[in-house]
Amino acid sequence: MKSIVVGSLESSDCLITISPHHTLEIVIESPVYQSFGKQIESVIQNILNAFSLTHVKVYCQDKGALDYTIEARLITAIERFKEAENES
Amino acid sequence: MKKYTNLTKLLNDLPLKDGMNLSFHHHLRNGDGVINLVLEQIEILGYKDLLLSPSAIFPSYTGILKLLQQDRVKHITTNYLNGPVANFLAQHGKPSSLKMQTHGGRARAIIESENKIDIAFIAAPCVDHKGRVSGLYGPSACGSLGYAMEDLKHASVKILITDHYVEHLDDSQVKDVDIDAVLVLDSIGDARGIVSGTTTITSDPIGVMIAKNASKLIETLGLIKPGFTFQSGAGGVSLRVTDFLKSYMEKHNIKASYFSGGITKYHVEMLEKGLVEKLYDVQCFDLDAIQSLKRNPQHYAISANDYANPSNPNRVTKGLDIVILGATEVDINFNVNVTTDSYNTIIGGSGGHADTASDAFVSIIVSPLLKARTSVVKEHVNTITTSGKHIDCIVTERGIAINPLRQDLLEKLKHSSLDIVSIETLMERAYSYTGVPESTTYKGKPFGVVEDRDGTTIDTLHKKE
Amino acid sequence: MSRSYLFIPGDVPRMLQNLDVFEADAVIIDFEDSVAEHEKDEARNLTRTFLKRHNFDTPSIYVRINSTDVFEHCQKDIQALEDLPIEGIVLPKASLASLKVLEKLLPRPINIIGILETPEVFFEVLTLAKYPWMKGFILGAEDLTKTLNISRTVAGSELLYARSQMIFAAAAASIEAIDTPYTDVKNIPGLITDIQTSKALGATAKASIHPNHVRYINEYFTPSQVEINEAKRIVVMAEKNASMRFSLDGKMIDKPVIERAHNLLEKAKKYGVL
Repeated sequence: MKSIVVGSLESSDCLITISPHHTLEIVIESPVYQSFGKQIESVIQNILNAFSLTHVKVYCQDKGALDYTIEARLITAIERFKEAENES
Repeated sequence: MKKYTNLTKLLNDLPLKDGMNLSFHHHLRNGDGVINLVLEQIEILGYKDLLLSPSAIFPSYTGILKLLQQDRVKHITTNYLNGPVANFLAQHGKPSSLKMQTHGGRARAIIESENKIDIAFIAAPCVDHKGRVSGLYGPSACGSLGYAMEDLKHASVKILITDHYVEHLDDSQVKDVDIDAVLVLDSIGDARGIVSGTTTITSDPIGVMIAKNASKLIETLGLIKPGFTFQSGAGGVSLRVTDFLKSYMEKHNIKASYFSGGITKYHVEMLEKGLVEKLYDVQCFDLDAIQSLKRNPQHYAISANDYANPSNPNRVTKGLDIVILGATEVDINFNVNVTTDSYNTIIGGSGGHADTASDAFVSIIVSPLLKARTSVVKEHVNTITTSGKHIDCIVTERGIAINPLRQDLLEKLKHSSLDIVSIETLMERAYSYTGVPESTTYKGKPFGVVEDRDGTTIDTLHKKE
Repeated sequence: MSRSYLFIPGDVPRMLQNLDVFEADAVIIDFEDSVAEHEKDEARNLTRTFLKRHNFDTPSIYVRINSTDVFEHCQKDIQALEDLPIEGIVLPKASLASLKVLEKLLPRPINIIGILETPEVFFEVLTLAKYPWMKGFILGAEDLTKTLNISRTVAGSELLYARSQMIFAAAAASIEAIDTPYTDVKNIPGLITDIQTSKALGATAKASIHPNHVRYINEYFTPSQVEINEAKRIVVMAEKNASMRFSLDGKMIDKPVIERAHNLLEKAKKYGVL
């Protein structure tokens, strides 16, 4: 199964890539990592928990997105990911 | 004055030595060809323990970088820097290797022999055989030479470097100066890099909102009256404020006395429309400004000393009613940082920030409260460039904060419909979007200082790692 | 009683999170034309997570859903909005037929602003205006002129019929008549002429597609001091005259004029000029 990519690299947005993985892995790149890295990780982790996803890699290329944007991009990615999973 | 056409020959005749203090100016900005050329030769000649005093350092000034990499620079004094030199210092800078001054502070330090320049290498767009200098003519014309004047008056050795040597110049921008030598080269710069690219009035909707709020504030404070004086930077939002003021002045038939600082085509247009009497130009930001300086007798080129030297009682900044300035960070005590980002990267410097903020009757910071996930207002700034006691108003797209030290202004704004809030409220508004940032108090070893215009140290610069 | 309605794309975080700074009285978050076909789900999710975290007293928030012609999108849009604190929806290609489809999708009554952008709708516009959930119309001149194969001009005579029809029907049903956005973004003199035309014809508000247009719309749709003074005099005279019919400066004043004066003063009060 292929990776799903959602969002953009515009300022205040983020690009989320989600792909199947043997375990759970979250990778974050952010210009505000020192100030908000932990917060971004917990937003991602909470959404993954809500969707009960444990075997995926989430790669978040952040451009200063607020929490709601990270949430929305990840939710969309997961919805598309699950749809693709059902189709295959 | 001796004339040279070969840099090596010139350098052979100069009293070069280890530990000498060399100065340059930045009027050719990123198109400057002089600083790299001179420092390459200095490098070949093997001098060390150098003191460098360029008025600013742009990304193209790689000659400085090479000397730094070879550990042959003992100290740099400058007013503004970004790019590779800034990054090198923030990573490898030795203790006390950098001092950042203000434009006025630099002039003061040179005049008062606090900064003793041994040799000034002055890029000069046009020179005549008597050593008269002008920034107005030649392929590398840059207009005003405001930041080079004190170097030319006070350095032990004064060298002009030009690519446009003429028989006779009617008027010299630097008066009563005894030039030691002129070096005539094929080229001293790249015109494309000389005119700054930052002077476009903003159309960004948030920038426009901020500018609108700032101009409403200025109107409400009753500051736009016949004969008022004003300075705005060349940033897009500042220029939009100027544009709003222009409409207001036209509508109410008000004429200003002078605009000062860096001059752009927008200022020139207002001079030509009769909305302002005089322009005091320490630095031209675009070709329109250079053309205007050539033809309009009410457009004056002034020196950094005339402009902002705090020891000069006749300085232009002292008469300012309003100054509009930017900020990278503002803290809840109104201290402003335009020197570093939040993570110790040097991104600029005071320039005239502290000079104008200290002197103007009202200093106004215009900035988006939120830049992506970063709040401009925070508990502590990474570096203090301008002390909060000199900052009166912070204008954002989400409210305006007035320094409580200015009760007189707060009184005038009591009944206004403007969204005036405390600076803490501004910060809370920002944090309601971004969340509270984890404190990034980590700072590496100190390598430099930020100096206020009077020579006192206002803050310390720390390394990144 | 909003003066300005600003369209904001539903999929651009930088615009969405700043929707309250442009001083628009109402904002229309767009799921339709400004969102690409394959990004509709991104817009829905972004708007959902945003409005769940951030509540607004001002501006009023509307969402432009996709038209009932693209049924699946329209259905998903409505599902996405179900538990969000919004003022209402904006319905593209509004028609009596589209309302029938919409009624079945909506779980409960909701305020609707219909976009008039097809030639057909102007033959049922009064019935549409009197539909109980209908709170206003927006003229969609871009799509309309495209269908008619005509160009838009500064004078706008090609839109006179459509504008007047919308304004008449809206007035008859006492709903808002919101004029079409001005699309030549940088042409401010053109914008001002267009706003003056809107107002002269009787529009109650104007939509815009660029934040920089909002302050001009607000300025012209705020009652002027001359209008306010006249309205005040009318109201004072009306209070003295029990007959509700009198003359002022040689002009006959009667009930509709008095009501209009009251409305104008209310609007002036709301926008801080009274």
